[in-house]
Amino acid sequence: MNLLRISLRNNFMIEQLESIAQPIGTPKVRRLGQDGQVIAFALVILLLGLLAFGLVKANTGPREKGMAPDFTITGFDGRTAKLSELHGQVVIVNFWASWCPPCRDEAAYLEQTWRKYQDQGVVFIGVDWVDTNKEALAYIKEFDITYINGPDTGTRIADAYRIKGVPETFFVAKNGELRGVKIGPLQSPELDEKIEELLQEVYP
Amino acid sequence: MLADIGLFAVVIAFLLAVYATFASFYGGRKECPAWVESARNAAILVFPLLTISVVILVYLLYTLDFSIAYVADVSSQAMSPFLRVTALWGGQQGSVLFWAWMMSGFVMVVLLRNWQRNRELMPYVIAVSMLTTAFFIGLVVFITNPFARLWLVPGAQELTIAIFPPASAMPYVPKDGGGLNPLLRHFGMIGHPPTTYLGFTGFVIPFAFAIAALITRKVNDDEWIRATRRWTLVAWIFLTIGLVLGGRWAYDVLGWGGFWGWDPVENAMLMPWLTGTAFLHSVMMAEKRGMLKKWNIVLIILTYSLSLFGTFITRTGIIGSVHAFAKSAMGPVFFLFIGITFLGSMSLLFSRWHLLKSEHEVESFASREAAFLLQNMLFLAITFAVFWGTVFPMISELINGTKITVGPPYFKMVTGPLFGALVLLMSLAPFFAWRKQGVRSLMRALLVPLIGSIIISIIWGYLHRMHPNSIFALWLASFVTMAILYEFWRGIRARMATRSENPLLALVNLLRRNHRRYGGYIIHLGVMMVALGFIGEAYFKQETQGTVGVGESLAVGGYTLRFDGLRDYSGSDGREIIEASTSLFKGDQLIRVLQPRRDYFIVQEQPSTIPGVYSTPGKDVYVLLVGWGENGINNATFKIYVNPLINWVWIGALFMVFGTLIAALPSGRQEGSYALKAVELQPVPGD
Repeated sequence: MNLLRISLRNNFMIEQLESIAQPIGTPKVRRLGQDGQVIAFALVILLLGLLAFGLVKANTGPREKGMAPDFTITGFDGRTAKLSELHGQVVIVNFWASWCPPCRDEAAYLEQTWRKYQDQGVVFIGVDWVDTNKEALAYIKEFDITYINGPDTGTRIADAYRIKGVPETFFVAKNGELRGVKIGPLQSPELDEKIEELLQEVYP
Repeated sequence: MLADIGLFAVVIAFLLAVYATFASFYGGRKECPAWVESARNAAILVFPLLTISVVILVYLLYTLDFSIAYVADVSSQAMSPFLRVTALWGGQQGSVLFWAWMMSGFVMVVLLRNWQRNRELMPYVIAVSMLTTAFFIGLVVFITNPFARLWLVPGAQELTIAIFPPASAMPYVPKDGGGLNPLLRHFGMIGHPPTTYLGFTGFVIPFAFAIAALITRKVNDDEWIRATRRWTLVAWIFLTIGLVLGGRWAYDVLGWGGFWGWDPVENAMLMPWLTGTAFLHSVMMAEKRGMLKKWNIVLIILTYSLSLFGTFITRTGIIGSVHAFAKSAMGPVFFLFIGITFLGSMSLLFSRWHLLKSEHEVESFASREAAFLLQNMLFLAITFAVFWGTVFPMISELINGTKITVGPPYFKMVTGPLFGALVLLMSLAPFFAWRKQGVRSLMRALLVPLIGSIIISIIWGYLHRMHPNSIFALWLASFVTMAILYEFWRGIRARMATRSENPLLALVNLLRRNHRRYGGYIIHLGVMMVALGFIGEAYFKQETQGTVGVGESLAVGGYTLRFDGLRDYSGSDGREIIEASTSLFKGDQLIRVLQPRRDYFIVQEQPSTIPGVYSTPGKDVYVLLVGWGENGINNATFKIYVNPLINWVWIGALFMVFGTLIAALPSGRQEGSYALKAVELQPVPGD
């Protein structure tokens, strides 16, 4: 058998022979252990499960209509705000994070708009999403942000609003209903326009 | 009429692709060449057919046939002819067609070039590549058809998009189309998407060969690797170009002053690039030493799977991303396809695992074999870290219901040291001999670069005392660069001495005689230049922001920016432009007038920020117009970044392209594999 094998140059034939020779005690062919295979399959199936889950989730977008979910936020400076107590005022809820480059794009515009409208019955709430306090405080200082900003502990607010990422800004009307969401950075003058529109709303 | 021809061509292409898949598989199983030949002819026809559809779609986009829903969606009268043509890949329907077209092009070229050489693998190469192509053409036909029309059903609130008219519907032709997403209206549109697609689709060729080798049990030979080496290089270089152009585009258009943000979509593209790069290196071991065969097959399956995974998460939007992509109906079907590909190739791999036998063992830790093994591990580790960070939001949402996004700090912290180790390995590995490396000869090869790089980094460290962390990074980069340059120098000197060539001729001959090695070195040099760009980004970036009145200035990093005024005018394609005029000074010297602007697209209600950039090889000054005064034009808010070394990223990319071209050159003589092995096994020059 061995002699025959050496004299053969054809790989395919050798394989054929090997498969015949196998049971008669030639050196054992190394196989990936059964356990290894099971683990690899399990991991891939887990991944596929995860993707399926993600796919289902992806088809539920952020909240845009209906009553804005209520929340209470405690600012980095100790101020607190509760959404349901702000009835009669237009509320802008902005989700951001210090590590998010597009958030930096809109930060100055947000603050500028807040200063313009703060005396006209408009409230801005900054919700800092998945962040570290030190960086977040540096960010607030950098952009000189004066409206209330607090961490979203346990991402509870973000979950309620089903945000996709940051920045995302929700517009809440005077009666507490959601009037749309902006995904991505706000750019002048869209926030001004939206606020003007919401301030115009009159209820019977 | 034209649209119907386009549609018809796609449908025929789909049928042919499905036929080719089954016929080639059947022919391969039954060892019946007639079926395989027939499948081959069908597969070759797919590309011309899809070309007809693509040309027709481009024509429809160009001539603005708004009865076609896709045209009405992405093209518009205000858009330039250039942008109308690029709108082919500006929306999903067109993108998928474009994708299938490119893939079928790759398959056609392979069938024409490799048909004689790789007869045994061919049936399954056709089957695998056509299965994938058929899937994408199927998406075009059934799910996201670019030739569907707009219909108005009486009494309905919205228009219907369909190929066949719904009952009692009237065709509807809008006056003008929506036009491309403003962010896509940029010169970069010609570069980044096509190159990215070429990179992604190109990997189907090595993947198909690998699967064919597994099916035919010829996987222990390196035939599949030799057949696909250049294909892999082509796919890899396009992916590289796509990545860099994507970064460049982000830098020019997205207006956050950077080029890489660890966004899921960016990661989706980085991951196949990482495993693909590992694969490119790792196959050399199979060719020259008959080792790492399991690695190679795992790496190519991973690379291809990650390409699909990347496309999937990007196109279905399952991971939140700052890139706003439309959600689509492809999700479930795509999911099924991914599942079949992953599980199918893995089962096949396991059933053939025992066939993969290494011809040698790693004999020493200080050997080229060990270095290759280590580099595979490092690439895989980085890929895993990136993967984990990318899917983590989903995992956390699944486990405790909250979506926790890991930001750039995670990626930087985890991958930074691994990339560092990889770069260090990159400097050492080319100098390791096969089998075992003596310390003394290694020292001889690396002493000069080592001393040189230490001197450079000491001087650098002195000049940049405030950034101590950058010294190590710079030492590493300069060490690798000098080691490569020194290697060139030694090769040139040897030729000058032995053949009395002049230095230039010696360099040219060096590249010609050993184009793979020296092409690789040039790519490595390019990588080091890109690394320099990242060092600048990580340690030396400066930024400031402020609101200034006309005549006032902002200062950052030795530069002063004076605000001279704002103007407001209408652009050609329905955009309203607010442009600031600013003067950039260095000291008292005026160096450039910059005009950062903000374009507002009226129809889309979407703004786009266009920076004013003063660019030099050393650094960029990047100015963004962030906002302006409410009533009047007397003040404006600017954001200024000083980005040192950033241009080295683009220059390095050019080097990588050049090096790849050298490495992919055809070998002068058709050397038999045996002769090649003997040549390559000679000690490294200088030993």
